[in-house]
Amino acid sequence: MATKAKITHADIMKCFWRYIFMAQCGWNYERMQSVGYCYSMLPVLKKMHPDPEDFKEAFITNLNFFNTNPIVGTPLIMGAHIALEEAGASYDTTEGLKVGLMGPLAGVGDTLVWALYNSIIFSIAAIMALNGNAMGPILAMVLVFFPYMAVRYWQITWAYKEGSNLLSTIGGGAIGRITEFVTIVGLMVIGGFAPSIVRLTTPLAYAQSTVVNGETVTQTVQVQAQLDSILPYMLPVLATFMCYWLLKKKSWSPIQVILLLIVIGFTGGALGIFG
Amino acid sequence: MSPILSALVLAIWTYICVYDMLSPNFIMASRPLIAGFVTGLIVGDVKTGMLIGGTLELMALGVYTYGGATIPDYMTGAILGTYFGKGGNFDVGIALAIPAALLMTQVDVLNRFLNFVYVHRADRYAEAGDDKGFDRMMVWTSHMIWGFSRAIPVFLAIAFGEPVVKSISAFFESYPWINKGITAAGGLLPAIGYAMLLKILPVDKYPAFLLLGFVLFAYLKMPLLGIALFAVAVAGIFQYVKYQKKEA
Repeated sequence: MATKAKITHADIMKCFWRYIFMAQCGWNYERMQSVGYCYSMLPVLKKMHPDPEDFKEAFITNLNFFNTNPIVGTPLIMGAHIALEEAGASYDTTEGLKVGLMGPLAGVGDTLVWALYNSIIFSIAAIMALNGNAMGPILAMVLVFFPYMAVRYWQITWAYKEGSNLLSTIGGGAIGRITEFVTIVGLMVIGGFAPSIVRLTTPLAYAQSTVVNGETVTQTVQVQAQLDSILPYMLPVLATFMCYWLLKKKSWSPIQVILLLIVIGFTGGALGIFG
Repeated sequence: MSPILSALVLAIWTYICVYDMLSPNFIMASRPLIAGFVTGLIVGDVKTGMLIGGTLELMALGVYTYGGATIPDYMTGAILGTYFGKGGNFDVGIALAIPAALLMTQVDVLNRFLNFVYVHRADRYAEAGDDKGFDRMMVWTSHMIWGFSRAIPVFLAIAFGEPVVKSISAFFESYPWINKGITAAGGLLPAIGYAMLLKILPVDKYPAFLLLGFVLFAYLKMPLLGIALFAVAVAGIFQYVKYQKKEA
């Protein structure tokens, strides 16, 4: 199936822009991002498979199931796939590359982009917005647009250069170290901002009578102050770990946990236990 | 703006938010902070947009559709909440936004299911080798089911929902405990986002770093940027020690 056609930078850019504008359009439970991926790769598939019957096969093959992180993941796989197409690799090889990379990259991408980068950017921006500072949302948009464009462009061009070496490069070395580094930073930041954003306090108080110099003195004891003296942010920490336990150990869906939180929060607030 | 015109403009903005989430991710318009902020600009009440969007953003922090799981639609919630909360009705806005976000999860499941029409049509184009037809389908229709599944409810709610919302807010005013309950539930909801973050991060492998961040914040009252810089230093030292040993 080896062909003589050469891939140019313009071909890669054609795929890149198609990916930018259509990557997850048509997402469905059956084959997830398959149509978007196929659409993105078509210019290269068409160039490398000039024979109509051969092109049809490439077209059908690339409609197979596909799903990974659309920001850190898809462009990397595309770059490596383009390099394999240029080398005239078989469909077994290209499909193997896609299947082999999409799972691990979905994990890395979801962690880096959604869980860490976005959480940090958007928590800071949301707190600025709640203080009435319009720079919050504006900054968030700027810090999404430029880094996202840069990281996506870099992936497709870099992975094209790396080509088939990519599988071994990603396995260990630099990318593993970067992920570890960002994970450590992310965990510390999350440990720091989680308790500040979950707002759960109690106004409960009880009266305590003590006898001072033969007179009975009644004091009001704030439950919140007592909890704070044991562990600051005790209630938010407990609430977070309850959710974590339900999600991880009890396999509850996020929606179920959210409904439980609403019931607990609403009842507690309405009865004056929380607030 | 008349309600019908507002409904139309905000329905278009809703469609743009959905499309931005599906593909370009230029500004993350599907995040409630951005969706609410721009809605605030459109309805002329940026402050409410930021309050509703910011509040929902904290609830939605860390809540992403990992692997295509359905999550509350805080984006649609932020748009409707900002519209109905404008002019100082923050409580009403947030009280509408949360149920709206939860109701829309049903729509989300339906649209992700209905989208199978695209992949089946794509199969037919592929069998025929018709890449031009496939391109047309992708560019013009592949975002329609998802886009309209959010834009139409937003249009209907804003165009015809005003009387319903008025009676709801009157109801709230006569029963203050409802607001107290909603405020407490709103404060508690961000816990789910953190739990989801903790679930996908390797907490079991590195629990010490989580604890360290908590101690810096809760006991030493360090600001977030300080914690972030400290974390960079700690990560650097950790890796220096770890890989130094291996190389030596």
